Amino acid sequence: MADMVQILVLGLALGGVYALMGSGLSLVFGVMRIVNLAHPSLVMVGAYIAYWAFRLGGVDPMITLPVALVILAATGVLLYKLVFEREARSAKYSEMTVLLTFALAMVVEGALGAAFTNTQRVTSPDYATDAFFIGSVFIPKGQLYSGIVSLTIISALALFLKYSAFGNAIRATTQNRDAAELLGVNVNLVGLVSFAIGIGLAGAAGALVSFVFSFFPAKHWEWIAILMSLVVLGGMGSILGTVLAAFILSVIAAYVGFFFGATWSTLTFFVALFVVLLVRPQGLFGEKPELA
Amino acid sequence: MSALLQVSNVVAGYGDGPAILNGASVKVEPGKVHCIIGPNGAGKSTLLKAIVGMLRVREGDVTFKGESVKGLRPDQILRKGISFVPQERALFPKMTVRENLRMGGYSMRDKAELERRIDEIEERFPILKERRDQHAGTLSGGQQQTLSMARTMILKPEIVMLDEPSLGLAPKIVAEIFDIMRVMTDEGITILLVEQNALMGLKHADWGVVLDLGRTLFEGPGKEILNDPRIQELYLGGKKAA
Ligand SMILES: Nc1ncnc2c1ncn2[C@@H]1O[C@H](COP(=O)(O)OP(=O)(O)O)[C@@H](O)[C@H]1O
Ligand SMILES: [Mg+2]
Repeated sequence: MADMVQILVLGLALGGVYALMGSGLSLVFGVMRIVNLAHPSLVMVGAYIAYWAFRLGGVDPMITLPVALVILAATGVLLYKLVFEREARSAKYSEMTVLLTFALAMVVEGALGAAFTNTQRVTSPDYATDAFFIGSVFIPKGQLYSGIVSLTIISALALFLKYSAFGNAIRATTQNRDAAELLGVNVNLVGLVSFAIGIGLAGAAGALVSFVFSFFPAKHWEWIAILMSLVVLGGMGSILGTVLAAFILSVIAAYVGFFFGATWSTLTFFVALFVVLLVRPQGLFGEKPELA
Repeated sequence: MSALLQVSNVVAGYGDGPAILNGASVKVEPGKVHCIIGPNGAGKSTLLKAIVGMLRVREGDVTFKGESVKGLRPDQILRKGISFVPQERALFPKMTVRENLRMGGYSMRDKAELERRIDEIEERFPILKERRDQHAGTLSGGQQQTLSMARTMILKPEIVMLDEPSLGLAPKIVAEIFDIMRVMTDEGITILLVEQNALMGLKHADWGVVLDLGRTLFEGPGKEILNDPRIQELYLGGKKAA
């Protein structure tokens, strides 16, 4: 019984980081209809920033987090201006953006490999290897902190989207781009800001990931599959859905790992992706496609 | 009387595609209800999209209060005082009724004034007040159309263009939609309506315009057009086949 509780705790603790990675991806998909395959490779960039700040300057990844967020958000602005804004007018927009984001992921991976080699890295602030105990259940501090910070950032995003005028314009554009434009929303600016926020969140997630997982440049391929499963299960573009999916699947994966071994744990996400696409393509929380 | 909005011999199409409009003209007089009728595919929706700047006007001109508005973006047209409710109603299904109304005033700087106007709209359309916190996607078809139309009133526009507001609604609900149009004209709003159902549209219109194959065929007072033998011909397909 204690084991079962322990696994639940570990699953939930991991869910937060996945939720943060997934919400950036989901925001970008919702507004721009881009499945950004490069998203996790940009998470990786955030992780390297946090790693080197810690290794060279002893800077806590929590301190680096806002810096990584800003650097990646600025990168997002550049990418949008240089690449995606132009593609928005293309008739083959969807196909083009899949190829472009795939190419971008390869370029980022290659650059990180060239600069930092393929060695496994992990940032190791004190709390990363420490834990709280509640009875016999232990809660790794690193995962707990990363989960709390992730949820804080996601809540801030949710409040912004729900209550600010620009946040409402972002949601409106997600739900009905033409209508938003007719009402005077500058949808190109909405695209730019959402893309910057989404990529910024990837950077923030990277700082957290840097002490939760060990990583190397090619690891992002594993994450893209995991993130796709979250976004699809969450209902393509619904941030709340993505967050819930992250917690549900992380907990399931933790149990699968316990009963069948670690290899099978990752497979949970892929099986979920496959099953959801077959059985309920609109996701757990998405509405029927024709209403979207 | 000088026209409020004048569309003259407009040629327009989608992207680089063929011209869908081939010399469409409409003259909109202040304070009146105008109805564009014509068979399916005549280019009625395309004409409204060209007026609001969703499509480029390739030839001809669109003037509002004597000034050309050709080439302006939809948001600029909106700020001039021309609101548009497209055929697909243009709501945000997962935003609440109140949030949808608020989006109607997105271009307003004075947000306190915006809230006041939303309150006014809610007083006038009690169903919207009742459903204010409900997602727009959960409303019935008639309620959604009410919301779309009420939302245009937030900006106190001079012209409201409605593309087939009665589409897919039961006759009793359609009557309510025409009542809302009456509310709008009482406010001094000029209406440019597109209807596929010619009989119903013309019955409520001061002025009728008949469009086919992207061209204005003829126009006149609503009741006269209704009894024009050419209408019979058009809808029975005589003219189309020619
Ligand atoms: N988005 C579009 N892209 C290309 N052609 C279109 C588009 N929408 C409509 N059309 C074409 O324009 C013509 C007129 O359509 P429309 O203006 O919708 O007619 P109506 O509203 O009078 O029924 C049709 O032949 C239609 O196929
Ligand atoms: Mg139409």
